[in-house]
Amino acid sequence: MSPLHLNDNLEEQIEALLTADTPVDGWKEPLRELFQRYMDQQRLLDRLTHIADRFQAAERERSQGYLVNYEKKVRQLEKIVRISDQYQTMLHQLKERLEHASNYDSLTNLPNRRYMTIRLEETAAQAARKPEAGFTVMIADVDDFKAVNDKFGHAAGDRVLQAVAHALELALREYDMCARWGGEEFLLLFPACESANAPLVAERLRLAVAAAPRISEEIPAPTISIGYTQHRTGENIDKTLLRADEALYKAKNAGRNCSIGM
Amino acid sequence: MNDLELAQTPSTPAVRMDHKVGRVFMAGDSYPENPFEFFQPIIDWIDTFLKETSRPLSFDLELVYLNTSSIRAMMDIFDRLEEAHQSGRQVNVLWSYDPDNERVGELAEEFKEDCTFPFTIAPRS
Repeated sequence: MSPLHLNDNLEEQIEALLTADTPVDGWKEPLRELFQRYMDQQRLLDRLTHIADRFQAAERERSQGYLVNYEKKVRQLEKIVRISDQYQTMLHQLKERLEHASNYDSLTNLPNRRYMTIRLEETAAQAARKPEAGFTVMIADVDDFKAVNDKFGHAAGDRVLQAVAHALELALREYDMCARWGGEEFLLLFPACESANAPLVAERLRLAVAAAPRISEEIPAPTISIGYTQHRTGENIDKTLLRADEALYKAKNAGRNCSIGM
Repeated sequence: MNDLELAQTPSTPAVRMDHKVGRVFMAGDSYPENPFEFFQPIIDWIDTFLKETSRPLSFDLELVYLNTSSIRAMMDIFDRLEEAHQSGRQVNVLWSYDPDNERVGELAEEFKEDCTFPFTIAPRS
């Protein structure tokens, strides 16, 4: 049954019924049809509402799902960032530790030979550009160190080195540098130190070590011999070091616990 | 299914995945150039193992440094384990670390946070 066709027909019939003054014959049929139509529409509307409601519920559920998913992703992302940041901090600290380990001596915590070599080259390069920026290097060597090691053991020897390193470090100015050059040898760099001052500085260092607190009663107080020299502008740093070494050799030959310059 | 074995490189961890005993071992640093390429076979192996067998799956981790995409991949892996655990599967993780590097333990704690399956973090003796 086409609703439109019936509609037209039924509408006319109902209108005719309504405009009549007295009930027309066969009035029941159009009324029954109208009622039937009304019931059909009602059912249709119910179904429509039902379907629409379900769509709406599904849609709500879907967006709820997106929301839950979204919140989960945000939490996950925050967590990844947090963990990642911590790992990066860890890496950074590890790098600093490695850097320190590669530049510092683990026993005395002084700069090591590697680090000092770089600084010496830099300082020599500076002096080549500015001849007035002359500098002094000193090599300090603990006297009779082997005897301490032999008699009291290596642990005692280590403590002596630490005590000497500490005494040297305390006697330095802020921009001077003392490195553990190897074994019982320390290399000292004095930027902008005139040759006239070098003997005074060397003596101060020697006395500082001699006056350092004893590490124990039975171990004799350590002394140092120092050889020092002024870097000559333009010369290779190795040559400067060699001269300081020669001076140290002279100091040792002169009876130790003294300083000699060349 | 096959076992999966990847040798350790400076930027990727050693990986051993044994399907017979249901054990996964990963140790080292992880910052692969192509994280997807590196982790996909691992994730595929886990998916296959969980799908094709009903055996327990144990993870033995000694991971140290993870970059951001590796962190993501590990979280994906733990999500899978969590899901398997929720559906009644027996899974567990043991993350051991060098006691000198306490921070790794703290980081493993972050990963553990959302997992309800057995997840042990222990300094290596």
